[in-house]
Amino acid sequence: MVGAWIVGLLLVPLLGVALAGPSAADEPATEHIRRTTRRWRWAGLAVGAAVAAVTAGYDPLGRGVLLAAPLFGLCVLAGVVAGESRVVARPACSTRQAALETRQVRHYLPRRPFRAVAAAGTALAVLLAATTAAGSPDGLGRAGRALAYDCGDFIGTHGPWAGSFYSLPLAPLVGLGVLIAALAMHRLVGRPRPQAPAGDMVRDDAERRHSATAVTGACGVLVTIPLIGISLFTAAGLLSSPCRPLWWTAAAWGLFLLVPAWIVLLAWSSVAVLSPGPRADRPAPVSA
Amino acid sequence: MSTPTLRVDTQDPTPPYEQLRRQLSDLMHTGALKPGDRLPPLRQLAGDLGLAVGTVARTYRELEAAGLVRSRRGGGTRVADQAPAPPADGHRQALDRHAAAYLRQAQLLGADRETALDAVRRAWPADA
Repeated sequence: MVGAWIVGLLLVPLLGVALAGPSAADEPATEHIRRTTRRWRWAGLAVGAAVAAVTAGYDPLGRGVLLAAPLFGLCVLAGVVAGESRVVARPACSTRQAALETRQVRHYLPRRPFRAVAAAGTALAVLLAATTAAGSPDGLGRAGRALAYDCGDFIGTHGPWAGSFYSLPLAPLVGLGVLIAALAMHRLVGRPRPQAPAGDMVRDDAERRHSATAVTGACGVLVTIPLIGISLFTAAGLLSSPCRPLWWTAAAWGLFLLVPAWIVLLAWSSVAVLSPGPRADRPAPVSA
Repeated sequence: MSTPTLRVDTQDPTPPYEQLRRQLSDLMHTGALKPGDRLPPLRQLAGDLGLAVGTVARTYRELEAAGLVRSRRGGGTRVADQAPAPPADGHRQALDRHAAAYLRQAQLLGADRETALDAVRRAWPADA
């Protein structure tokens, strides 16, 4: 109840800020873009933080904590989509212009971080598939919440384990995040160039690049936090079996060794999401 | 960085697809667009100009029919390697066309001959 009040109190002023009127007419076009996208991104970020805080305490069995990061990432991505959708209106005046250029997603995505986030996403998908397949019911009969092992003389279980109990709610959220990220990239690449008051088109590649970095960062947060948690719990589960085969030990240490890399990626992603954006220098017109 | 710009005037009696076709054709004939250069994707150009995708698609179809561009599924639309040569006085015709359009706008604004020519002189770069 208290959490809902906190979310409500945060939402009202944030929505007010996000839905505030357009910028002054004499404001440089890129400054307007910067301000609008930043406002929406921060609104998504604050709503995401509140939603994550409420979700984290929702389930004592750990599902709330697991889903908090993906929900946070989803809210940030939704903020980016909203900002990019509102930033430049579709031209409606009688004289319209367009630069003869081909804008593509790869022009704006930060290449190496994108590859790292894609690798983390693939690792999460593979790990979730494996842990879901190996999951067993726990002592209270909750499906996919424990790892069962059979040592011949005795059998045992170890939990919590990232089986279907955790993967079934997590997978759709991650999938939805990927879809919203794709929509955000589509929006930021497809929106028209802004026009200066004098009528010249203005290069806003720095703003697009920053939004693409924020999208990559949000995806990084969305993927790496569950990945770190599941890696640690899976490694602990594999090492808990007294009669484990050698490859279980190798896999567990492999997962442990990858965790620092995921933490570095999480740190980069957090900075990318929180970064205020490019500095307000004078935009270069797109010369005809 | 110099990027050619396409302009569409929705109050011009010439249909937007034809305005675009002429401008792109001129850019190819003057060498501003070289063989192999990629034209903007249909949806991007339509979105930038606030036109229907079908309008831009018609422009590209006309250019393809004239042998000026080639379209490939997944590869976009590119300037043809061996585009037909422009007519001998193609540049002059294009210049006359643009001059006529400017004259029409100047007259709509109520400018007389000298005022319109002064505006051209002012717009002309000093070092050109």
